[in-house]
Amino acid sequence: MREDNILTVDDLSVSYGKFNAVQNVSFSVRRGEIFGLLGPNGAGKTSTLSAVEGLLKPQGGTILVDGNDAVAKPLHARASLGVQLQSTSFQTELYVIEVLRLYAGIYGVPMRKADLLGILREINLEDQAMKKFGELSGGQQQRVSLVIATIHNPKLVLLDEPTTGLDPQSRRQLWERIEAIRDKGHAVLITTHSMEEAESVCDRIAIIDHGRVIAIDTPQAMVDKHCNDPEVIAVSRRGRVTLEDVFIALTGKAVRG
Amino acid sequence: METSIPKTSTVLKTLLRADFTTQWRNRRATILTLVVPVIILATWKVMIPHTGGPFVLSNSIVIGLIAIGLMGYSNSIARDRDKGIFQRLRVAPISAWSIMASRLTVQIAMILAVTTAVFIVGNSYDKVSLSPAGYLVTYFTAVVGGVLYLSLGQMIVGRIKNPETVNATVRLVYFLFIMGGMMGQFVDSPEVKQIVQWSPYGTVRTILAFGMEPSKWNNNASIALLVTLGYAVVCAVLGIKWFKWNTK
Repeated sequence: MREDNILTVDDLSVSYGKFNAVQNVSFSVRRGEIFGLLGPNGAGKTSTLSAVEGLLKPQGGTILVDGNDAVAKPLHARASLGVQLQSTSFQTELYVIEVLRLYAGIYGVPMRKADLLGILREINLEDQAMKKFGELSGGQQQRVSLVIATIHNPKLVLLDEPTTGLDPQSRRQLWERIEAIRDKGHAVLITTHSMEEAESVCDRIAIIDHGRVIAIDTPQAMVDKHCNDPEVIAVSRRGRVTLEDVFIALTGKAVRG
Repeated sequence: METSIPKTSTVLKTLLRADFTTQWRNRRATILTLVVPVIILATWKVMIPHTGGPFVLSNSIVIGLIAIGLMGYSNSIARDRDKGIFQRLRVAPISAWSIMASRLTVQIAMILAVTTAVFIVGNSYDKVSLSPAGYLVTYFTAVVGGVLYLSLGQMIVGRIKNPETVNATVRLVYFLFIMGGMMGQFVDSPEVKQIVQWSPYGTVRTILAFGMEPSKWNNNASIALLVTLGYAVVCAVLGIKWFKWNTK
């Protein structure tokens, strides 16, 4: 394991019955980088993330989070993780400030009301403190989810398709917040369908398809490496090769379920 | 390098605070849980001279306990599971048992609240009062009976994933319990009475009724207590075995 790796996934396999969702996947995320996991629907992104989060028990392989085995020492591994799930939902009867207090408490950083309001002020939601989570807009919900994911200052933040359904303004704002997390020294593992997002915020990306990693590199290096491939040129639409063209060429044009 | 995980006491305190707040915000559902037992206390008042106060009070508490275990607990677990609330909690560095322990503690508090409400209304409206030992033993038997219905609720929510189906099922089971209890009382058939007596409704009613008069506790009550515990263990084991934290 490299000293600067905060997450090491080695030979990971995840199955649902006879279906192999993730097969022998290996990658690592370094401290202070934003790592993107890209893939079509059903490629195995969320299954990989779920195994890292401890929600799924892998059939094979190892996952080390800050040196802690995610299977053997799940609580220690999870203590180093901040997580934003794909469809985040919090207790519907609780106010935003109460949800914040709950998660601060269970991550072992109990906070006073003034501290919680300070956090909400930082994300321009102080005036929404006494609203229920479901009453917030999509962008506001994402901001609250992200702040909860980082409330305990985790070494690695996992974001599962965080910008899905957001308008361009909210998406840009979220990208800036994700970069700010990275700039504070945290590592970020993000899954996304958006090639624009991957190019804009990710330092390195892995493309995963049919449960296998088929490429890992920086977005630009991936484009440079494949820009002359006939399959890539064939799917290129505007005369210049983009990351999306490389992605389509590598994973195929067929629409997934 | 070891990463520090939060203290169990801090985690439980935080979860309990959130779960009690949630229960408090669901006041309407809580009041509805209390309404049926109170209606029984009011309408069955005329039976007290014939059957005795403990019989009416025990029936009333049983109905409240069934409502808590089935309608309250199962529905809230099914809904929160469907919304992904448990998944969000489970990615935090906390054990699964602490999530459930907090939920169950709130339900135990509800059991004690319903029992207390029945005692208060029974005393003020039906003029039924118990000895201090009677109150104490009844609280204990109410918790034992309540645990049985919570286990039954756990079994239902373990077997069925869809929250609407869970809701429909628990309402049906609740209705069956009430009808069974009524039949045991009003249908003049020894077989029916026997079935009701040893059903999850009847055994809890028995231990509650005898608990209200500890001096009359007999072999029959002890067997009913054992059967209640047996039902609870079976339902809990199956409920835990079948339970999935997500609906996918």
